[in-house]
Amino acid sequence: MLAPAAILCLGTITYAIVLEAWFSLSNAGPGTDGVFVGLANFQYLAGLSNFWQMLANTGIYSGASTVVKLALGLAMALSLARPFPGRRIVYAALFLPFIFPVVLGTIAWFFLLSNINGGLNWILQNAHLVAQPVEWKGRLPMVSVATVNVWHGTALFGVLLLAGLRSISTDLLDAAAVDGAGRLKQFLHIIVPYLKPAALLGVVLSVLGNFGDFAIVELLTRGGPLGRSQIVSTYAFENALVSGYIGVGAAIALVMVPVYVVALVVAYRLLGRE
Amino acid sequence: MKIALGAARWVVLPPMIVLSIAPIFWMAVAAFKPGGLPLAVGNPWWTDRPTLDNFAELFQDPQFGHWVFNTALVAGGTLLIGLLASLLAGYALAYLDVPYSRSIVLVFFATYLLPQAVLFIPLLRVLARLHLLNSPAALVLTYPSMVIPFGTWVVWSFLRRLPPDLVDSARADGAGVYATIVDILLPVLWPALATVGLFAVAIVFNDYLYTSTFIQESSSQTIMGALGALITADIDNPGRSFAAAMLATTPLALLCAFFADAFARGLSTGIIEQ
Repeated sequence: MLAPAAILCLGTITYAIVLEAWFSLSNAGPGTDGVFVGLANFQYLAGLSNFWQMLANTGIYSGASTVVKLALGLAMALSLARPFPGRRIVYAALFLPFIFPVVLGTIAWFFLLSNINGGLNWILQNAHLVAQPVEWKGRLPMVSVATVNVWHGTALFGVLLLAGLRSISTDLLDAAAVDGAGRLKQFLHIIVPYLKPAALLGVVLSVLGNFGDFAIVELLTRGGPLGRSQIVSTYAFENALVSGYIGVGAAIALVMVPVYVVALVVAYRLLGRE
Repeated sequence: MKIALGAARWVVLPPMIVLSIAPIFWMAVAAFKPGGLPLAVGNPWWTDRPTLDNFAELFQDPQFGHWVFNTALVAGGTLLIGLLASLLAGYALAYLDVPYSRSIVLVFFATYLLPQAVLFIPLLRVLARLHLLNSPAALVLTYPSMVIPFGTWVVWSFLRRLPPDLVDSARADGAGVYATIVDILLPVLWPALATVGLFAVAIVFNDYLYTSTFIQESSSQTIMGALGALITADIDNPGRSFAAAMLATTPLALLCAFFADAFARGLSTGIIEQ
């Protein structure tokens, strides 16, 4: 009974990883598996400033987006923790970006950030905050892609943290209040420790997810201008599929594996404490 | 505590709601703008002359029919395979004496966290060898590998929290595996399966990497792949794409309206309240 799941999932993944490892050590190209070239692909990449910039971009994109999503998700969870009139509608509105397909959300942002009658420039110009339309995706490519990421992913943190908040009993908070704990103290000593597992889980999911992100960057900036918003997946895509250097592309994709392993260890520690 | 949260809520929530909805609202407005009129003039956030031209044009375009059909096919196939494999694997891990079952669950969880961007290069090669490129089958074979880890995890953790007598007594009465699953488990298991199903649909509607890598021909493309390609190809008439986007989102929005709470609960029980 395990066989279908094992073959479709573990089998596919194991086979693909082995093939990828081979590609990264070969000069494979379109339609050919290539010959063994040792670490030549990795050496080639290590000598490219593009590659190091791409790595820095990926870390910043993933890290900064995650921090902002955690902060906004916490605000969302705390605001929705207690019942109030209209709570369901507010919850749905805040959840919407998360279920709105990321391709479509990115397309909407593509036009909002555009310098040709884009929605953002229209507002800023009418408020007299900018005189001329700004090409946001070109001027601030990393901020642009991170913004779409935060817009899309904040609700996941909100949901996870809300579930964490619900596990705190009101009695506990009331007891703390009776004992004279101020709001800040309650927050730091009761709420924060309770939320830690949910927050850590959100961080692991977000960091890993963002390391492998593709759609947002590919559709918004294509890694440009001049590689300024290139991240691992778009860089691997460009090298392997646009330029046809499959071996180099595979080596780039494998860069994600160390991050993955670290995240896994964190996740297991987290769940092992159950 | 109550009063403070109540006041802070009305400072935090309005801007978050506006930002969440704004891009989707913009796209909805753009879908109803006259098709010939470029987006480059007028108020990007409103139109005085709403029209259904974009939708009418879309329905006359045979390509749109292909995209809808392909998406339905891929979603249906992914759902069927993903649900069935997850159900069987979850059952086996929870009730049968599978050696190392705890480790197998952890391996499934590990593959859930693996970014899909690690695998797309070797998978492309494998699918090419199987002559499955440019066919929805490429996606029906690869999407389940993303559904099954999460699905098995959710089914397994749900089954583990059921009273063991439920299945034991059925088996003692001589019920086979099939009867046990269909008659005893399905009636109580459906919230978990709904969560897995929604997750599967979300994968089909959110993936851009696999669909744009494995499928090049427009007539074989899914809705998301096709719309993403249209935007990056600098289309002359984006109005139709926005109309298509709105239509593609409707089923998801409906699903979400009905299942958002169940999904959020399933997600958090599946992961946090382990």
